[in-house]
Amino acid sequence: MRALVIDDSRTMRRIVSGTLHPLGFETHEAEHGRAALDLLEGGLDVELACIDWNMPVMDGLAFVVAVRANPAWRHITLMMVTTESEHGQIVRALAAGAHEYLIKPFTPEAVRDKLDLLGLLPIGEHA
Amino acid sequence: MIAVVERDQVLAIAQDVFAAMVDGDAGRLQPWSGTLPSLEDPVVAWVDLHGPWTGRAELTTERATAQDLARALLGMGADEAVSQLDLVDAFGEVANVVGGNVKSLLPRQGTLGLPQVAAAAPVVPGALLVQHLPLSWRGRPLVVAVRAFDHPVLSEGTPLA
Amino acid sequence: MTRLRAGARETDLTAVVEALTTNETSWFRDTSPFTALRSPVVPALLDARGASAHLRVWSAACSTGQEPYSIAMTLADALPPTATFDVLATDLSEQVLARARAGRYSQLEVNRGMPAPMLVRHLVRAGAEWEVVPHLRSRVTFRAHNLLDAPPPGGPFDVVFLRNVLIYFDLPTKRAILHRVRQVLRPDGALLLGAAETTIGIDDDWARVSVGAGSLYRPLDAGSVTAGIPAPRSAAPWTAPTPAVPVVPPSVLTRGAPR
Repeated sequence: MRALVIDDSRTMRRIVSGTLHPLGFETHEAEHGRAALDLLEGGLDVELACIDWNMPVMDGLAFVVAVRANPAWRHITLMMVTTESEHGQIVRALAAGAHEYLIKPFTPEAVRDKLDLLGLLPIGEHA
Repeated sequence: MIAVVERDQVLAIAQDVFAAMVDGDAGRLQPWSGTLPSLEDPVVAWVDLHGPWTGRAELTTERATAQDLARALLGMGADEAVSQLDLVDAFGEVANVVGGNVKSLLPRQGTLGLPQVAAAAPVVPGALLVQHLPLSWRGRPLVVAVRAFDHPVLSEGTPLA
Repeated sequence: MTRLRAGARETDLTAVVEALTTNETSWFRDTSPFTALRSPVVPALLDARGASAHLRVWSAACSTGQEPYSIAMTLADALPPTATFDVLATDLSEQVLARARAGRYSQLEVNRGMPAPMLVRHLVRAGAEWEVVPHLRSRVTFRAHNLLDAPPPGGPFDVVFLRNVLIYFDLPTKRAILHRVRQVLRPDGALLLGAAETTIGIDDDWARVSVGAGSLYRPLDAGSVTAGIPAPRSAAPWTAPTPAVPVVPPSVLTRGAPR
């Protein structure tokens, strides 16, 4: 399975990718929403996108809106991974079409839990 | 506007950040006991908070400690050289996550600036030190501080938040 | 725990250590029991009891509260406005019960297994933490209870969650606990155990029903209330549980569709 990791911090991209690899994901990285859309438009197919909110050029919310507007990308699970943790922000992201929401800081177990409830863990990986 | 950011909350945030992102294990970040020594070659990472409340969340530590923090975050070996770029990205990201969680304590929603790292953060005239937490990370000094930039004198009867 | 130490075998201790260290404080732990609760359990109970039913659930090893609150959230979402429910949540330790009653959890804790739509529907920010909303907290009663004692008041129950706690006990005690649970479970009620647990080989008075990736257990011989532990029946030889079917992504709980 393939995942797109979108965050303007290289450190955070490394951390997120690092938690996805043992769960069977091949990861591709982008430093903002526009770069991520370029990858998708260029033909990259992924099952999952982990998306930071606050990024230059195009933020995570705008990326979610753009992906949900394109029928060709309907199958991509969109999970915000962000420090934005106000109740209203989470509601905004879900309303825009994000499927899940992981608040920073998070542990590798938390990522696994989210993927499990999304049905994105390979068989045999379930808790 | 007066914003309430309590010491226990800031400590909990810092401990959660380090436990989840750095140490993989709770308990490595604790209050510093005794007097904090003067920091050798200090480095500061900070994010500014904008909105109804303006201020800053900042982390200060010795350069060698910040480099070890970067090594831990980037999965580097103990002897690997940490570039300035690595340092800014990694230490900055820790400040970003701490600052983001401090922001969500505020009564009205604001926005976060980009994380910055330097030998010192620019002084903002009139800034008030709201919280100052001397901490120990793996036995080394690390200070988490929160400053308020905007604390106007309120006239009587002004509703808070 | 004294009883465990007295009669413990190495395998029991390993199981205990594992239970203590894995997924201990997750919300909606293992997903499938809560999916099962949502369907088929709740619809079947509403069919049997009517749309104005009052459902009672017992969370029999509730720890710091994530399980009973997860049950309450599931029921709040699954039941029509005419139906009501209450959850009895018990545990040995007054210390964990005090935490559970407060209904407050850290950001790290709410990241564990809680679907985001559930989070925003049923919790609010409280300082640096999250708190279960008052009207949901009021549905859950926390009480200290020892599973070795007679069943707690508050029944009979429509559903009992007895998850990841039988491992602490030896075989005769497990059987006795299951017997006491059966005494307070409605004849058409359901028992939910931990993901790796089963009544098979322990107590014949249950029928296992496969539901999604997991199982639920229906009481057999309901109404036969006897004092003490029933004499062991000549049981069929123990067989391994049916392998789990591949998980169907739970569509209602997780995709952020507006409700």
